[in-house]
Formats: sequence, structure tokens, C-alpha cells
Amino acid sequence: MSRTTSPALDVDSLGVRFGGLIALNNVTLSVEPGQIHGVIGPNGAGKSTLFNAISGLVPLASGSVRINGVDNTQLPPHARARCGVTRTFQSVQLVRPMTVLENILLGLHVPDSLLKRGCRDEELDRAATVAEQLGLKTHLYKTVDVLSFRDQRFVEIARALVSNPRLIMLDEPAAGLASPEVDELGDALQSMQSRHGFSILLVEHVISLVMRLCERVTVLEYGTVIASGTGKQVMADSNVIKAYLGEDFDA
Amino acid sequence: MMNRIPAAGIAAVILLSAASIFLDPYTQYLVNLIMSYVVIAVGLNIVLGFAGQLSFAHSAFMGIGAYATALLMAELHFPLPLALPAAGLISAVVGLCVGLPAVRVRGLYLALVTIACLYFFSWVFVHWTSVTNGTNGMAVSSLTLLGWRLDTDAQKFYPLLITMLLMMALASAIMRSRLGRALVMVRDAELAAQVCGINVMQTKALAFAISAFYAGVGGGMFAISISFIDPHSFGILQMVTQFGMVLIGGLSSLAGAAIGAVLLTVLPELLREFRGAEELLYGLLMIVFIIFMPDGIAGFLRRRGWLKATDLGGRAPSRADRAINRKTVAQNPLHESEQP
Repeated sequence: MSRTTSPALDVDSLGVRFGGLIALNNVTLSVEPGQIHGVIGPNGAGKSTLFNAISGLVPLASGSVRINGVDNTQLPPHARARCGVTRTFQSVQLVRPMTVLENILLGLHVPDSLLKRGCRDEELDRAATVAEQLGLKTHLYKTVDVLSFRDQRFVEIARALVSNPRLIMLDEPAAGLASPEVDELGDALQSMQSRHGFSILLVEHVISLVMRLCERVTVLEYGTVIASGTGKQVMADSNVIKAYLGEDFDA
Repeated sequence: MMNRIPAAGIAAVILLSAASIFLDPYTQYLVNLIMSYVVIAVGLNIVLGFAGQLSFAHSAFMGIGAYATALLMAELHFPLPLALPAAGLISAVVGLCVGLPAVRVRGLYLALVTIACLYFFSWVFVHWTSVTNGTNGMAVSSLTLLGWRLDTDAQKFYPLLITMLLMMALASAIMRSRLGRALVMVRDAELAAQVCGINVMQTKALAFAISAFYAGVGGGMFAISISFIDPHSFGILQMVTQFGMVLIGGLSSLAGAAIGAVLLTVLPELLREFRGAEELLYGLLMIVFIIFMPDGIAGFLRRRGWLKATDLGGRAPSRADRAINRKTVAQNPLHESEQP
């Protein structure tokens, strides 16, 4: 690994406990700049907890999180966001009474400080551009609560993208989308990624989307990494097949 | 698209300024009082409506501003344009001191902390007699502006009008800024706010400070308008009235707070004949609004399209439109899939 390009995300032997429950155990993974990295695993495997630990929303029992080469382990969530990592949530977290444009503008609190006056024109320009690239152009001045679920998801992705982050973490972006919408999401992510060159950490249950987008995939089960590699490699891994289909599956 | 309500507000201001030469002293006094309450209600809406923090200490901050204004003018001979912002700042500092620890608790607990705070300051207003003159109250006089003395209600009108307009413009600018949007995001999506880089505690405390600044300046305007202040003016009834203004006018709407302030200042004056009816009617109105129109008059106006949907940056849609149009649509492969 060269020193000049530090990984966008470097998670080292991460542990998270909720009381006696070990939610994450010694999880190590690393996302290179520009890479799309998938995290899959059965329900309850700790995928969302991994995201929350990286965002700083749950306390760590052990391990460290480095974002763009900066040690974030001790930082509060808002300070981590300013290091160039943004995310979406499994359940869409938008401000419903706000318009689409205003919701996207919320993404621009990073990397500048709260009171520093951003250039209004440039802010609007960037928000409108991202909205257009994600096909939200016609909805800019509608309040979010009148949008379809698909559009709400895309608004949340737009909010995560508008600040030009180095790493964006997507928590089940395809959940609740119809099949053509999932394809559209894949197209959108690919085109945005090739345009801006950010890294993506993708948690997703729709395996076809993961196989299509991700260069590398990490598989979690019961908070532990059971496989890691390219999509094909992990799909062929006997541990993964066991985790998804049960012990007695005869391969 | 021109929004009718702000336009109507501007028209009303122009009319009032022109008419103030002909207004009788009582009506002029009422207009002055209304302008004070507009500032106070807008401030309360920033912390209560936009930031979603239950702050019951607003009438105490108003009292601090009122006493500060009166004392700064009487003892230190501050001219009016200096006394009002100074009173606002004093109140804001107190608001920040209350807000910083208070925002660590939320919901009902925050309500309790701020109610305790209201009672504490009410006690101070009554018992710190060397400063506040206790329950005897104090006259507010010696208003000066550029060396001129302001005695009549008509003379006070223009400085108060300018103050109100400045405060409205400032509130509008705050809400259209990142800070304004951050306040609302902290209210509606606190978790997401954190991962968007918003320092939640700092933002909440700032909401307290800003709203206390408004209460301070508004309290000063109030003191100037009614020329006499006593602790009774800044107690629990005052707090209920202000909540009524914001709830009836409309939570998270600047225009709504202003409309509520006008209504609930005029209403008790109309009910002067029927003592006691005032409180009854407040209660009834608030119940009716909470059940049938929880977003207040502003919500109704928004549904009719007479008020823009939010105060949070929608002011320059044309600019954003231009930004979109500048980009060539063809360069985006996604675009075919998107139908209006």
C-alpha cells in the first residue's frame, strides 16, 4: 500500500458491544480511493452497526477508524462528517417540511464550519447540479413529504453527495425500491462515482446490485467478518453459503 | 412568484407609516406594542418552531431586555439605537447561559428546566429591588435619539418600526442561511444532522441565544411602548400569550409569528370590557388551533399558496433554475429515465 494515497476508509479490529451482546467483533476492512466496497450479511449481522460505528453514532469497545488517513476514533459524529465521509440511512432521514432543494443544501454543512458564510450562489449551484444528475430536477421546490419513496431515497443520496465527499456510505439504498428503480439506482451510483471519483461503502441485501457495483465485498455474520474478496470469490465461499442458506446446504 | 402575505405586510407597514401622522395616541400606542410583540414572537418561533426546543423562559428574557433597556437609558444615558441592541445582547448572553446546560435535556425535561428558569427570573425581578424597584415597577423615560427626546407615542413609532424591520430582515436572513436550515434539521432529524456535520448541542444553544436576543430587543421595545414596567408583565401569563401568538400564527413561519403577534395584541384590547374573558379566550383559541389547525394561520396560508412553503432558502429559486439550465441536459445519461 503506497503512503501517498491513504485508504478512504480504514477500519481496524473494530469492536462494538451492547451490554453483553457483541455486535461487532474484530472487524477489519479497508476501502481504497475510488473503490466501491460492498458489505453483505444476513439480518442482524451488524452491518448497520458497522456504519454507526464509523459515523461515531455508537461508542466503540475496541479498534480504530481512520477516514482519509485521519484517525477518527475519538471524534464526535459531526467532526467525522467534516473529514469527508457522508452517509444515508436505512430508513430515510430527511426533513419532511423542507423542499428537496433545502434538504440537499443540508449536505453542505461539511466541510465548512456552521457560521462561516458559504457563497449562496455556489451552494445553490451545487445542490441543483446534483439534483439534476440524480433526476430530481423537476422536484426541487416540492416539499419532501409529497415525493415517492424512490425520490426520497435519491434526495438523501443527493444530500450525501453534494459536499463532494471522499467516501459515501449507503445503508441499503435499494430497500423498498422496485426492480427497475434498483437498476436506475445502480446506473445513478455508477455515473456519479465515475464522475466524482469518491469511494462507496455499500450495505445492501439486493445481491445483484452488490455484484454489479462492487469491486470488493466483505461478508459479516454475527458481527464477524466471515469472508472478504471479489464478488465472485465471496459467493463461492463455503462460509458465505452456509451463512445464507444454512448448514445442510449441499453445494 | 410574488408571495401575497409578505407583500401585504410591506403594504401595511407603508400605510401605517403614512397614517401615523393621523393616528390617535391610543391607536399609535397599540401599533407600537404590536411591533414589540412581532419581534418577541418571531424570536420565540426561532427556538420553539424552527429549532423545536420547548423554551418557556422567553418571557423572562423579554423582562431582562426590558429592564436592561430602561436602566441603560436612565442610568447610563444610552441613546435608543444603542440601548436596544445592548439589551438584546445582555439577554442573549443570559439565554446562552441558560441554553448551554438546558439543551443537554430534551422534551418535557427541557420544558421543566426553562419553566424553573422563568420562575427564577420572576423572583429576581421582584426581589432585586435596588435594581428593578421590585413590585413598584419603574417608569421608562429619557428616550433620546441623536440628541432628540422622544416622549409621545408618535415619536417612538419610527425608531420602533425601523427596529422591527431590521429584526425581521435579520430573522429572514438567518433562516435562509445554513444556520436556519441546521436549526430545522436538528429538530426533525437529529441523527442525520450529526452525520451532516452539524454540531447539535452548539446549534441548539445558539437557537436559545438568538431567540433570547429577539426577546431582549422586543422586551426593550415593549418597555418603550408602554413606558412602565413591573415584574408582573414578564410572568407566566406573558409566556402563555407568547406561546399563543406562535401557535395561532403558525410554528416555523416568520410571517405566522408576526400575524399571531398582531392578533393576540389587538384581541385583549378589544376585550378590555370583559375582564377574565381574555384568559378564557386564549385557552379556547389555543385548543381549537392545536386540534384543528396545528400549523396555525401560516399553515392555512401556505396551503392556499399565499405564503411560500418554507422560510429556509426558497427565496432564490430563479437562481437555482438558472444554474440547472446552464448545465446541458444531454450530458447526463440518467435524464431519459426521468419524466416530470
